Amino acid sequence: MNYLIYMVLQITVIIVFAPLISGVIRKIKALSQKRKGAPVFQMYYDLHKLFRKTSVVSETSSWIFKAAPYVFFSTAVTAALLVPVSTLIPQPSSLPGDFIVMVSVLALGRFFMMLAGLDTGSTFGGMGSSREALISSLIEPSILVSLFTIALITGSTSLSRILFVVNSSENQLPLQVSILIFLALLVIIIAETARIPVDDPSTHLELTMVHEAMILEYSGRHLALMEYGAAVKQLTLITLLVNILLPFDGMISQTGMMAILLSLLFYAAKVLMAAVLIALIEINCVKLKLFSIPNLAALAFILSFVAFLQFFVLGGNHV
Amino acid sequence: MSFLILAVPVIAALLMITNRIIRRMHIISLAASGTMLVSAIPITSDILAFGKIESSFMGGFLYLDALSVIVLDIVVLIGFLACIYSVGYLKREILLGAFDFKRVRLYYVLMFSFMFTMLLALSVKNVGIMWIAIEATTLASAFLVGFYNDRYALEAAWKYIMICSVGIALAMLGIIFLNLSAMAALDSSAQLDWTALMDNAGSLKPSSVRLAFIFILVGFGTKAGLAPMHTWLPDAHSQAPAPISALLSGVLLNSAMYGIIRITAVTNKNMGSSEFSGNLLILLGMLSILTASVFILTQKDYKRLLAYSSIEHMGIIAVAIGFFTPASIFGGLFHMLNHSLTKSMLFFCSGTILQKYGTRQITKIKGAIKLLPYTGTAFLLGLFAIAGTPPFSIFASEFSIMSAIFKEGDFIIGSVLIMLLAFVFAGIAIALFRIFYGTSSMETPQPGEINIPGTIAALILLLMISTMGLLIPEQLKELLHNAQNIIYGS
Amino acid sequence: MSDLFDTLSVLILMTAFVLMANKKVKAYIKTFRVQSALIALSAGILGVEAIMDEGRYDLMVVCVLIVVLKVIYIPGLLHKTYAGIEYRTEKDFILNIPILVLISCSLVVFTYFSFSASGFGVNGSVIDLQLVNTISVTMIGLLFMITRKKAIGQIIGFLEVENGIFITAMFSTQGMPFIVDMGIFIDMLTAVMIMGVLVFKINVTFESINTDRLNKLKG
Repeated sequence: MNYLIYMVLQITVIIVFAPLISGVIRKIKALSQKRKGAPVFQMYYDLHKLFRKTSVVSETSSWIFKAAPYVFFSTAVTAALLVPVSTLIPQPSSLPGDFIVMVSVLALGRFFMMLAGLDTGSTFGGMGSSREALISSLIEPSILVSLFTIALITGSTSLSRILFVVNSSENQLPLQVSILIFLALLVIIIAETARIPVDDPSTHLELTMVHEAMILEYSGRHLALMEYGAAVKQLTLITLLVNILLPFDGMISQTGMMAILLSLLFYAAKVLMAAVLIALIEINCVKLKLFSIPNLAALAFILSFVAFLQFFVLGGNHV
Repeated sequence: MSFLILAVPVIAALLMITNRIIRRMHIISLAASGTMLVSAIPITSDILAFGKIESSFMGGFLYLDALSVIVLDIVVLIGFLACIYSVGYLKREILLGAFDFKRVRLYYVLMFSFMFTMLLALSVKNVGIMWIAIEATTLASAFLVGFYNDRYALEAAWKYIMICSVGIALAMLGIIFLNLSAMAALDSSAQLDWTALMDNAGSLKPSSVRLAFIFILVGFGTKAGLAPMHTWLPDAHSQAPAPISALLSGVLLNSAMYGIIRITAVTNKNMGSSEFSGNLLILLGMLSILTASVFILTQKDYKRLLAYSSIEHMGIIAVAIGFFTPASIFGGLFHMLNHSLTKSMLFFCSGTILQKYGTRQITKIKGAIKLLPYTGTAFLLGLFAIAGTPPFSIFASEFSIMSAIFKEGDFIIGSVLIMLLAFVFAGIAIALFRIFYGTSSMETPQPGEINIPGTIAALILLLMISTMGLLIPEQLKELLHNAQNIIYGS
Repeated sequence: MSDLFDTLSVLILMTAFVLMANKKVKAYIKTFRVQSALIALSAGILGVEAIMDEGRYDLMVVCVLIVVLKVIYIPGLLHKTYAGIEYRTEKDFILNIPILVLISCSLVVFTYFSFSASGFGVNGSVIDLQLVNTISVTMIGLLFMITRKKAIGQIIGFLEVENGIFITAMFSTQGMPFIVDMGIFIDMLTAVMIMGVLVFKINVTFESINTDRLNKLKG
């Protein structure tokens, strides 16, 4: 029973609101450029339209091309299931899956996307795939190290358990570790969701595309699934960031439905803050050269590694 | 009262700034350095009588004892002679059109600031202020090293200021650890005083003292030219104007070595043995001698040869301090004095030779004795002296260090040291043959001395080192013994 | 309170990493400014504590001086120096940046282990974490100096070493005696000015501020 409630809530929240976050970020960018911009619900309209259209599939492509959108979307949703939006929702006592599962599930989706990019044989697809492979191999170590640090501090690798521990009121992460992990995860999110300064989501300029290059051949329903999957992945990662590092659930003193509602409200506010932050970074940065991305990745790695070291130096007696 | 000696170089520098006539600058410089030399005499006799001088000025950070006064006497003596030498040296440079009165003024202002910072480093008891003064010596002398503003001089100045500043910064880290080690033992006003640290050495935190020693040794060792932090030294000493080279080699290295000696004393008293500091000092010292001997053997530039020889002698002093027996400390301090006198004389002579020939190449200054009868002779004898030939004083101090080492029973280090010194001797002898035998086939300048006051200064030093090789004045011996007791802590 | 200082020390360490990852001289100066501002902040917090507890104003004066000198004056001076020399884009570092950053990282680990090996009392008291972080800043500053070729980069490295040492003194001993702090400031200011003048002269004489061209004196 618990499991069912949890799944329903989790899926509703993330799947329903994922496109909205993309819309909000786009709106803020537009406003900063003194444009009116598309409405925040634009992505819903786009998805609605795309789902009704037929997709054109290249004759030279194999089954991978057709399967990839479904795999990508379903891996994104699976990952979303592993990151609770609120710790107060009654959870199944043994929710399977820890952060390593989450990282590898997302990697599986990415793997299929890269294969699909290569599958059509177009130049752009191959270019995008190779760049994506570079970026993800640079970023993955920092994801693992930063989550591993938190796992060490909280004593568990299960994401729901980690969130439960950091959100319970008496235990808090040391301030310096939180700051470092926050910065590291921010860089990771930017790289994973193909945003400036790593990639530009709003361009089809062949020299700079990464994510867009891989899905260039898609249309109709397949394209909709790809875009939707990317939005879900983005919201999942943001959820991970805000729920670990802004643990406000512990402050809620109410119980029952009221508490869940409050915590969801908090959650909405936190996600909105993160969206604004990401938008601000996009506004204020220029896109990096592809060959400068290793520098950024190295910094992200250092942030997470120093966080790990700080914990180590403290002697592992926190929380 | 005694500390008014510190005011003399400051006043001199201020007077220089307001002056436009070169002749007056020379007079001011001679008067000021003469005053310093004369006022050092009562200070020294006070120290001999009372053991130490303290002043209550500004919270009483000024302090002198036998150890610092030895180095201070070297500073004022070499400073005075360098001022005499500068008169003739600068006249020649002005004649050649290299300097105008502005350059001369800058030269004197910087030189007196340099002397002031060295005097300050020696006459304070607070380690922090001493550190500031030693860093200031680098800053005051950086432009002097790069005074000729050509490619070589600028390179030397850049290396000098960067390497020494970083080295000194590491010494600051060591001083912080020293402060940390004393936090529990001393109240905050005395945590950085040499005297308090020495008196309460037993109650300092040993792990911090050990770290402090390492960092201060590396830091001040950079400034003292110990290998492998010596790389700035040959460049700076060979590119600076000759009187400045004499000051750098004869005086500045001693000021840095003075800091190392103080921290060694504290560390050894804290640890109860000299094993830890001794091993490090002997290692660095032997490495310096080895490095220097290799470069001396293959050297083609006579000013660089002298610079490497300074590294060698600093290495010898470090080894002597590292052994830390009363006899070796005595020998080390005496060696410090002898090296300063000899090396300054050699740099004076090399400056004159450089002005005469216009080249630093050893092979191109043949027949120097014929062209410069006094300077050439002094240079020849000085090279013999610096290589450790009797009857000069360097031989006496090297001999006393050697006998202290063998008395301690350390035959391996002793014999390696002797072997290295033999290498150095061979290197210098080769240079000597190249300079003084045979006549140059190239066109040679007119014979005759060009820097009369400078030659007199060199000859005074020659006289001192030859007499001190045969007998040490009673007062000097007593002073050295007092300093030895301060270091050894008895 | 010590949690706050831990955080500040970590942030200062982070600026050292960012400085290492910077590629342009202007970015160096900007990062140095941020680092100095963080140090001024630490000094300011300690200064307020000192005023409240003991009525001492010296740390506050030090804080103000850091702001004036290291946040405003010296970066401005470096900007001016850099603007005054001929602009030329040259690769400024010897190894590529990710490798440099990873080496810096291993320096932090090295510092940590050398402190625990020397029996300095890691885990013994609260200041140790800060000590490891701030001394790592010094070490990274040294690495920065030896891996940058341009003279201005080396000056920035020197200033970073100085910053690391200063903040070490701040955290471990609540600052050196006042007169020593003042002396350090005067020395540092003079050093930077002299180095700036030397950079000008080197630029005129060598037509570049790449220090690999300073290779005439050997042996």
